[in-house]
Amino acid sequence: MTADTKVERGFWVRNRLWIMLAALVLFLPPLSFLFQFTGDSAFCGSWCPRMFFVWRKGETIGEFLVGFLRSYMGVALVLGILVSTFFLGRYWCSHLCPVGGSMELVSRLLPRRLKINFRTVPAPSFRYGYLAVYFIASAIGAGSLCCNYCNFATVPRMFGAAYSMADMSYFFRTAGLINLGLVVALGFAAKGGRAYCNLICPVGALDALSNRLGMRAGRRVRVDASKCDGCGACAKVCPVWAVESGRKETASIDGLSCMPCRECEKVCHKEAISYGKHHA
Amino acid sequence: MKKAIFFLMAVALSFVAAGYRWGDSAHSIGVIKAGGGEARHPSTLDSGEDGYTLISTATVLPPYSGDVRVRLDGEPRIHYRIYMSGPAIDLGIRRLPKLEGDTVYGLRPGDRPALWVVMKPPVVDPVCGMACGESPLSTGYQGNAYKFCSEGCMDAFRKDPERFKDNTGVRGRYTLSFLDTKTEKPVLTVPVIFKGSGDRTGDKTGVGHGEHKGNGKGGADDCGH
Repeated sequence: MTADTKVERGFWVRNRLWIMLAALVLFLPPLSFLFQFTGDSAFCGSWCPRMFFVWRKGETIGEFLVGFLRSYMGVALVLGILVSTFFLGRYWCSHLCPVGGSMELVSRLLPRRLKINFRTVPAPSFRYGYLAVYFIASAIGAGSLCCNYCNFATVPRMFGAAYSMADMSYFFRTAGLINLGLVVALGFAAKGGRAYCNLICPVGALDALSNRLGMRAGRRVRVDASKCDGCGACAKVCPVWAVESGRKETASIDGLSCMPCRECEKVCHKEAISYGKHHA
Repeated sequence: MKKAIFFLMAVALSFVAAGYRWGDSAHSIGVIKAGGGEARHPSTLDSGEDGYTLISTATVLPPYSGDVRVRLDGEPRIHYRIYMSGPAIDLGIRRLPKLEGDTVYGLRPGDRPALWVVMKPPVVDPVCGMACGESPLSTGYQGNAYKFCSEGCMDAFRKDPERFKDNTGVRGRYTLSFLDTKTEKPVLTVPVIFKGSGDRTGDKTGVGHGEHKGNGKGGADDCGH
């Protein structure tokens, strides 16, 4: 590539920062714009994307289904996320999720020396160990990871605490402080800001499964092995440490972790990384 | 091998986290209805904490509509404040119920108010369980200060401090009631239980109350000092 060659980037690549900021405005306090259409103020309630799919010990089928009605917007949201991910990749996680987005944006503001690098943790292994317990613990009556450790409750309340005593009250209790600690350690202070998303977000874990299932049928971030020189620049900028490069000759992308933030595409000087359909 | 270790580590950590019950907070889910709604299950809190938060969410079932006063009943009385979740900037897209003081105004079918009840328990006599924050009677044990409602309770504690030393919190059953302001009848009742493991037999056996100089009203809520 010559010095005066300019690579044209698509809308979602060029405007990712603005899309993330718009999502914060639409979903988070003080405006909580989208929630106001259903009479809610946060993800708790009809927008809850985490609770309805968990079966609790002793729950009847009717009670389980009532949970779907109670969180009807959450059901629609999760279904929309899974279907769109199958065909287009995890754009919800990379661009639209205000919870993951706010963690990544705050992380960008912190100096590098303060950040924790979670790269040595094999994310899919940890994530699906967590997700298994997320389902099993409730089903066998061994407790719950649902509301007690909820990123969708914690982050909006951090924004809302400045305006509402109800949101501030969330942090008056031990559970609120533990959740705050998790968001800070795995989000704000994490290199890339996405360790929470990558390790212990149940919606992200389900979304990653949809991403993996649609690898052949849908559009994804892909590496052209014939162009890659294995420089490793892509691996360094990946917020979910989904790119393996450096030790191998060519980079490879883990479909169980990748989200199309396309930061890798931006730094690839060989234009070996692109977003598109699978070619046999 | 590394992947298997991290998988098992995640399973173990997650089970520990899932099984841990927060003693200072609880979440109640219930229904508000004209005939008297109930919470799905009682809210259980650990005795002895400095403060508590109860999140009470409820769905209003038709045909009920009206205003409800929210009240926490139980002895000894607990100081509490109520807050309600709502958008910081109300764009007026949908009508929302409003909380003023302890009353939620304008509930209608389908509403789902989320109330945060932030509780501050009183200082409690470890022998009899009465509130005694104003009492001048106190003693120390193992670096902790204890207050008493009467000389009798203080003497009983001094004779056997190990028996009573962990009994510094409120105990037993309280009720968060949602009362319709017109009929004064409950439209939702949420049981709140403060559980403690220490021995508090004084309130059953009358230990220490031979010299109790209470308020003479026969109530167990306050020591009368």
